[in-house]
Amino acid sequence: MTRNTRILMQCIYWAFVLYLLIPLALMMLMGFKDSKFIGFPIRDVTLDWYLAVFQDSQVLNAMGYSAIIGVLSTAIALFMGTWIAVALTGRSFWGRAILLGLTLLPAVIPGVISAIAFRIAARLVGLEPGMWAIIWSHAIHNVPFVVLVVMARLSTLPKSYGEAAQDLGADPIITFFRVTLPYLTPAMIGGGIFCLLLSFDDFVRSFFLGGYEPTLPVLIFAKLRSGMSPEINAISTVVLVLTAVLGLWAERSMRGMKKRAAND
Amino acid sequence: MTLSNTRPASGPADRPGFWGRLSGSGPYAALTDVLLASPRRQFAILLIVPVIWVLLTHLGPILQMINVSLLTNYPPGPNNVPTYTLEHYGKFFTDSIFIQPFLRTLIFSSVLTLTTLIIIYPVAYFLARHVRRDRQMMFLMLLLIPFWVGEIVRIFAMMILLGNNGALNLALQWLGLTERPIPFMYTGFSLSAGIIYLTALYMLMPLYSALEKIPPSLFEAAADLGAGPWTRFRRITLPLSLEGVSSGCTLVFLISTGVYATPVLLGGPSTTLFSEVIAGFFHVAGDQWPVGAAFAVIMLVTALLLTGAFTKLMAHLAGRVKQ
Repeated sequence: MTRNTRILMQCIYWAFVLYLLIPLALMMLMGFKDSKFIGFPIRDVTLDWYLAVFQDSQVLNAMGYSAIIGVLSTAIALFMGTWIAVALTGRSFWGRAILLGLTLLPAVIPGVISAIAFRIAARLVGLEPGMWAIIWSHAIHNVPFVVLVVMARLSTLPKSYGEAAQDLGADPIITFFRVTLPYLTPAMIGGGIFCLLLSFDDFVRSFFLGGYEPTLPVLIFAKLRSGMSPEINAISTVVLVLTAVLGLWAERSMRGMKKRAAND
Repeated sequence: MTLSNTRPASGPADRPGFWGRLSGSGPYAALTDVLLASPRRQFAILLIVPVIWVLLTHLGPILQMINVSLLTNYPPGPNNVPTYTLEHYGKFFTDSIFIQPFLRTLIFSSVLTLTTLIIIYPVAYFLARHVRRDRQMMFLMLLLIPFWVGEIVRIFAMMILLGNNGALNLALQWLGLTERPIPFMYTGFSLSAGIIYLTALYMLMPLYSALEKIPPSLFEAAADLGAGPWTRFRRITLPLSLEGVSSGCTLVFLISTGVYATPVLLGGPSTTLFSEVIAGFFHVAGDQWPVGAAFAVIMLVTALLLTGAFTKLMAHLAGRVKQ
């Protein structure tokens, strides 16, 4: 590549970074505005909007509700995803490709279609809209991501580890818990945090499967529709900080895994 | 190591650990005798749970959606038992108010996918080939952080940027480029900016990992053989990144066809997308579910057929240039 194209690409990269970060930075700034109306310029600043977030019981409830849904759906997705990954890795059998395809299916169904399909299915099994319906739909939607991460990790597990355990008399169940599972832990932590983020951020499934109690994204959506105020900026900023911390943690966990795999 | 040290489970000889005690206990032995009797049985037990899960929860809702789309009414009432019909599918093809948002969604998603590809390709190329290995993670992280924040928060951030009192209009007025605020919001422009904001990462990651895998020695060899920059791009980079292009475009297209909150908040009456039409049948009276389900099936089948054909085409192209 010539020097000019390299500089051009560098410019595109930084322009893209600005496109991604400027809206979020403005959003955070606007949370400090001492006025009820969103919009520039910001003349006076205040911390009231941020302080109000931590006193608003509606916001705190929604946050707790989203957190419970996130944790429980992640637990289910991790359990099923790991089981499926173990069943799919290292052996070939009739129908493996079909099983893998069906496993990844929820990840490729467009959002609104997946949400209404879950809504209809929840009606079929008699699940009322509410917490459990949301947990169930988030868990199903997140399973493919766990499967992909765990399968990638599992494919680097040397076969000799399991064989050594079996030679020492461990049965397959004990081999799984004492050899395979510890080896998979970093992948499961990384995949789990990713699921947590997906669940915490999800709007469309929570919206269609939710009851009267809103999850945090649904609450923000409702507030947005009834009119913008810096209060929403403060809430969104809190969400942004929370998710960024979680995301960085997941990234660190996965990166450590790659480094260790390279050293093995 | 002597033979006496090779015990089934580790731990001191006189005091076996948790796993030693577990494997020595009677109920566990009885259980494993049944479960692990033969490799065949072990395999069957390992497989049965995933198969049931996938059929019931991954495939089941889609099949039930198809089933409901063929019913006259759903949920079934006490005195109107549903029968099978094709009328909801007919409704789509006879009423132009539905075809229009449908076609708009397809065109819009295709154009946005292409736009995203054109913007992101240089970004991914720059990251994979011009940033030092040890610094790539940092450069990538700058792009990743916004994507961990959810759909709603990102749409809201876009609204602040593009509103009539928004930062963009303020900047334009300050620069003297415009007298009055330009109405960016509730137009195809704001909707596009919002959707690209949501989907770009799904283009970036496959492209980046495809480009990163190309060994630099290939470029050196091509340069030694006298290939110029354009030839190197056309004969090496492009063919070897087609796989990334293929999966990136597929993901972005599928996500764009399914976004709901983005068109509701950033779009206007002239940009109604099909996802809003589908959702409408679920918000109003319950007896409209079958129509919504039928429309969702039409959207799903079209989207999967289009992306399937696109993937096939890209695989064909990649196969041809490799020869």
